Amino acid sequence: MSVVIKAENLGVEFYRSRRRKMQLREMLFHQRNSAPRETFWALKDVNFEVKEGEAVGLVGANGGGKSTLLKMIAGVLIPDVGKVTVNGGVAPLIELTGGFIGELSARENIYLTAGLHGLSRDQVDERFDDIVDFAGPQVREALDTPYRHFSSGMQVRLGFSVITTLDEPIVLVDEVLAVGDRNFKEKCYKRMETLLEGGRTLFLVSHNENDLKRFGTRGLYLSQGELVMDAPMEDVLDRYNAEVDAAR
Amino acid sequence: MTLLTRTGAVMARRQVLWTLVVRDLKVRYSRSVLGYLWTILDPLAMAGVYFFVFTFIFKARRIGEQPYILFLIAGLLAWQWFSGSLTDTSRALLAEAKLVRSTNLPRELWVVRVVIAKGIEFLLSLPVLAGFTIYYMVKGQTHVNWGLLFIPVGFVLQFFLLVGIGLLLAPVTALVTDTQRVVRIFLRMFFYLTPVIYGVHAAPARVRVLLELNPMTGVMELYRAGLFAREVNWESVAVGTAVTVLIIGAGALVFARLERAVLKEI
Repeated sequence: MSVVIKAENLGVEFYRSRRRKMQLREMLFHQRNSAPRETFWALKDVNFEVKEGEAVGLVGANGGGKSTLLKMIAGVLIPDVGKVTVNGGVAPLIELTGGFIGELSARENIYLTAGLHGLSRDQVDERFDDIVDFAGPQVREALDTPYRHFSSGMQVRLGFSVITTLDEPIVLVDEVLAVGDRNFKEKCYKRMETLLEGGRTLFLVSHNENDLKRFGTRGLYLSQGELVMDAPMEDVLDRYNAEVDAAR
Repeated sequence: MTLLTRTGAVMARRQVLWTLVVRDLKVRYSRSVLGYLWTILDPLAMAGVYFFVFTFIFKARRIGEQPYILFLIAGLLAWQWFSGSLTDTSRALLAEAKLVRSTNLPRELWVVRVVIAKGIEFLLSLPVLAGFTIYYMVKGQTHVNWGLLFIPVGFVLQFFLLVGIGLLLAPVTALVTDTQRVVRIFLRMFFYLTPVIYGVHAAPARVRVLLELNPMTGVMELYRAGLFAREVNWESVAVGTAVTVLIIGAGALVFARLERAVLKEI
């Protein structure tokens, strides 16, 4: 099996304060930026390789760097040191509804969002029915109403449906399984299993142990930006749980 | 070097670029049936106001060309592309933060897309200019000449200029919050420092040198070349082209330097 994701000495440094945003006014009159300058490493010296068809789950407490790592692989964040090499396209289930425009109808939005991720008009034509079917009958009925009239559940369902019909060999999932009603959740699980059976590489971030066990065979344990364990999922979860219990 | 590879990366995603442009235009024109009217109403109304002020109150007959209203419309339509692009490219990365965060596209694309969408609006407004030109031709007050061929040249020059400025502004606005206010003030001042409501010939020689440094001066000269008999100020076109090249270079450099920080912030 060929290596599809390779991280070498990966590191990224953030400002501690969320408000690093500068203001010209301050820069001109105070000659300095009032925001704190303290930094921390959200990821440091992370090394791993993922082979084609692997299902990897990221485990760790909040702020451990899981989402940051996922964004790095998706190419929407650039590392400060080291590098991550990704061979093949990525279907990012991150910010699912990001590409949708409230003013336009659901139908137009499907074409636009799928287009943003590289599908041509003909390709969307082919998959259109699948996408709508998966999103559910409610969405089908409302295909020509403006997207902003959709309930938040419907919006996310449509987003999930569009992204998972992309042909990309690598699928990144960030906590999105927590959305939708129980019915839709089951559908999502089935879709994910089909994707895995089809040989896709899966990268999953979740706090739900069941999800992690169900889809992840290999676990990466991130703690304060460092990769502390890379082992079969069961073992990683055992250690994580033990450490959480010990800290209590 | 980076400029070439980044251009290549944007070009490779031109299908996506086109999708985004179509989306912009759709949003703009789906909100109201009068969408098109709004794009041309503003420059037309302003042309009317300036015509009134400068013809009847200042009685300034030499500041532009005759027919003055045609001169104004040509300038104001191009200015609208300029100011609309600056306003929107400066917040290009912020406004689409969600998309920038969730799609792995060359980030320069978000700037180029705004300039193209605004450029298409400009092209769509040109029939208005053509209408006025034909009207004055029928009345025998204007004669077009082969200089009309310079309109596409002006278009290309303005396009590159706007992309360059956008590449400078977009990342800076994402990091420094009040840049947008500065852009607004700058635009209002820059309007009078650009030969929109007057021609560069109307300025005293010493001021003219300054005006020629403004890359929009050359652009305006190219647009108006075919509509009026006056000789084109080629100096301003040459200087404007050189300044545009510099701005593109600086823009690409600044964008590449700030990209990493911007992605962390938005």
